[in-house]
Amino acid sequence: MAKSYDYLFKLLLIGDSGVGKTCLLFRFSEDAFNSTFISTIGIDFKIRTIELDGKKIKLQIWDTAGQERFRTITTAYYRGAMGIMLVYDITNEKTFENIKNWIRNIEEHAAPDVQKMILGNKCDMNDKRVVTKDRGEQLALEYGIRFMETSAKASMNVEESFYILSRDIKAHIDKKMEGKNTSEGRNPPSVIRPTPDGGGGFKGNKPSWFSRCTVL
Amino acid sequence: MTDPLVQKSSESQNYEQLAQEIEALDTYWGPTFRAIIEDGKHEKFLEHLEQRIRSHDRDIEKLCNAHYQGFIDSIRELLHVRSEAQDLKSLIASMDKDLQMELQNVLQRGEEVEKARRVESNIMSTIDQLQVCLPVFRMYHKLQEQLAQKRYYPALKSLEQLEHTYLPQVSRYRFTNHFRESIPKFRKKIQDSSMSELKDFLENVRKYSSRIGEVAMRHTSEQVGLDESITGKRKLVPIGTNNPFLDEYEAQDESTQDDEDGLSAQDLVDFSPLYRCLHIFTVLGDKHTFENYYTKQRKEQSSLVLQPHANMHESIQGYRQYFHAVVGFFVIENHLLYTTNGLVTQAILEELWSSSVPKIASNLRTHASYCTDAELILQIKNVIMLFINTLANYGYNVTQLMSTLQDIREHYTDVLMQRCVHSFREIFDQDNYHPLQVSNDTEYVTVLEVFPYRDAGLERSPYPRRFPFSSMVPKVYEQVKEFVCASLKYTEELNLSQTEVDDMIRKSTNLLLTRTLSGCLTTLIQKPSVGLLELIQITINTNYLELTNAYLEEFISSISGSFVKDVSHKAELQGKSMFKDARAEAEEQIYERLKAKIDDTFELANYDWTLNEPQGRASDYIIDLVEFLQCTFRAFTNLPIKVARTACMAACQHINKKLLYMILEDDDVKQISLGALKQLDLDLIQCEQFATSEPVKGLDPSLLLECFTDVRQLLDLFNQCDFSAYFHDFGERTSKYPRVTPQSAIKLLEKIREADKDKKKILSVLKKDERDKKKLHETILRTLKELPQTSQ
Repeated sequence: MAKSYDYLFKLLLIGDSGVGKTCLLFRFSEDAFNSTFISTIGIDFKIRTIELDGKKIKLQIWDTAGQERFRTITTAYYRGAMGIMLVYDITNEKTFENIKNWIRNIEEHAAPDVQKMILGNKCDMNDKRVVTKDRGEQLALEYGIRFMETSAKASMNVEESFYILSRDIKAHIDKKMEGKNTSEGRNPPSVIRPTPDGGGGFKGNKPSWFSRCTVL
Repeated sequence: MTDPLVQKSSESQNYEQLAQEIEALDTYWGPTFRAIIEDGKHEKFLEHLEQRIRSHDRDIEKLCNAHYQGFIDSIRELLHVRSEAQDLKSLIASMDKDLQMELQNVLQRGEEVEKARRVESNIMSTIDQLQVCLPVFRMYHKLQEQLAQKRYYPALKSLEQLEHTYLPQVSRYRFTNHFRESIPKFRKKIQDSSMSELKDFLENVRKYSSRIGEVAMRHTSEQVGLDESITGKRKLVPIGTNNPFLDEYEAQDESTQDDEDGLSAQDLVDFSPLYRCLHIFTVLGDKHTFENYYTKQRKEQSSLVLQPHANMHESIQGYRQYFHAVVGFFVIENHLLYTTNGLVTQAILEELWSSSVPKIASNLRTHASYCTDAELILQIKNVIMLFINTLANYGYNVTQLMSTLQDIREHYTDVLMQRCVHSFREIFDQDNYHPLQVSNDTEYVTVLEVFPYRDAGLERSPYPRRFPFSSMVPKVYEQVKEFVCASLKYTEELNLSQTEVDDMIRKSTNLLLTRTLSGCLTTLIQKPSVGLLELIQITINTNYLELTNAYLEEFISSISGSFVKDVSHKAELQGKSMFKDARAEAEEQIYERLKAKIDDTFELANYDWTLNEPQGRASDYIIDLVEFLQCTFRAFTNLPIKVARTACMAACQHINKKLLYMILEDDDVKQISLGALKQLDLDLIQCEQFATSEPVKGLDPSLLLECFTDVRQLLDLFNQCDFSAYFHDFGERTSKYPRVTPQSAIKLLEKIREADKDKKKILSVLKKDERDKKKLHETILRTLKELPQTSQ
């Protein structure tokens, strides 16, 4: 089959049940929203192609079930993920507190250089908010990862967050490739699986576009 | 002188005598003088005279002396008298003046009196004459009064009297001409006025006919209510028992409601102008004109009445007003049929009615069709029923209107179904597609009340209990029941037999199930946003929805009152088959969704078709896919096993198809190296492992494996280069490659040759074994082409 993309990124959505992972994905892939809560069974995925710096990037986004009973199924997907969205519900304290547990899960099961991002979803419901934006930012800062408040319902920051995460992954891969190219002189493979090297990635040298978006 | 003395005496005497004569006479002294002269003694005489004069002077002197004092006194007295006379004279003069003036007045009065006298006599004669004329004027006055009071009929009588009795009596007077001339004018005026009164009446009637209609309809409704409460049955009220005109009276005394007598129309509408006008025109011999006019006007009114307001459909009030007007119109006509002699005939009325009915029917149909509110339609139906009953009571034929009710019923069903569509959609939208869970008895009972689902296992299980179906099942069932009830509501008071009602409800319920619910389910199932989870729950739900068919049968029989045992159902509910179809559709969608996921994953496939050596393990996308499928079948524990098996089979078959397509049909793949073929083999092995891993419980691994046979045989044939066996056994039962058609073999071989060609170009080396290989390929290709192309 002919190659129809330059990159394939595998993203993973995790977080407690009911925080809106499926809705975020639904908004991103179909630009639609459904207010009825239908909890995800097992795992599902959606594919969307985006363009970054003139490159066609296929995003295969895995949507996991938040419920405990599917934990074994879902953790199997951590390994292959290149980017992980940690989602909590700004109207639900518990889901925010659990972010730490989810990060622990990532540290345990995912590749070490996986790109992460914390999303405080349902930010359209400001009147029911219990987790302030500051706390979300504080937590993200603690772990040195990105943070954004989103609303799948109001379509706020959904597109942006996925783009930012994809851009982070791409930058990370490009950087890694540069290193490899100089040493090995090989063309970059079109599909890049995260390798255990790399570490935390790139904290300096952020393009200004990101910093603008993160404050959004 | 006889004696001179004597003589002298005699002579003196003579002279005396003559002097006396002269004295005595004033004139005619001639003779005397003659006598004197003749005597010649005139001297003597003169002397005598002188003497005489002297004597006289003496006498006078003496007299004067004697009377002087007297004279003075007299003069004095005279002077006195004169002044008095003067006074007297002035007195008299003033008196005369006064008198003159008085007289003047008197004369004036006299004249006046004379005039008055004349006038008096004139008056007397005038009075006499007027006395004669008076009756005429009285009559005329009466006439005017009657006209003013609009009592035209007496006025007409008066006019006649005036013309024939009174006017001839006074015909000599000129004013009678005027009268005579004005009589036709009066006639005309009366005719006009009575016509205008008729117009007022017609207008009035139009104004009040709604009210009459309203009262008539209220009476009917009361009567129907009364009837029902007495007999407990729906029955039409006997004709003629209600009388809208007696509204006030009856309202005061309920007991008089059954009185059938004393129909009087004057209570609400004053018919007298009409009667009067009719009378007048009859008297004037112009009855025909009147009747024509009246009929024409009423016809126009009827067409106005029959034309409903453009916004009638907006509220029940609009319909009521319309019906009131129509009923009012026909009630009045009906009343006039009996109270006037031939003004409204049975034939005219019937014709008017029969021409009106289609208009009413079509108006109702049109306006009802605008209505999208089921409740409103029900109300409309009730009002129409009342309308029909009311008019039937007045003897009008209402069969056609009854059939209109049937038409509206169809619309009602449509509206109900439309409403159901919304409800169904809402139910589907709100469902979370998870088994319905109840945490306590109350909740459990609430569900069972709506949906009579009995399961011994569930009954015994501890809370929270989980029904196998999701919330849509009881909700849909309830909605259908509501629909049935709503349909039944329409049939109320329609005088239908229970079988008819039962039949009707079954028909519309079937429509709802097979058209509306089925449509909604199909839409739901085919909605792209509906995922596997929903579809699976839907297939499960349809099993339980199927149960509702039996419940519904019971429910309909119970509410329509017809018993299942004694009715061989004309229309059996078709819910069962409909839900079966829906389930099949949902299942089909599950397979389609899985296939779509497989397609999605295949999009990520990233083969290097010129690969020299395989990477030693399966491609990422295949690993992902297999993992995904495994997860899915593991996670969807509630997936019915049969569906799961079919789904798994379908998935494997689809993967097989996709792989085969990639190898053979995909035009983007122009060349395939043997290395790439080996990689495909690795990927296929991954799939085969999945097949043998028993992803779905109880599914024979060999069956699943068989799904991949097409690709497996093709890959084996090429990877092992087993063409001799292929050609040897071709078309035989024992063939190892029965699924490889020569066509596909040719296609793949050509792609491999293409890859070889490229490789040669790149390497630009022509090794011997390469040449051999090329030769071999050519031979195989030739042989393949010789094989019968259609055989398997």
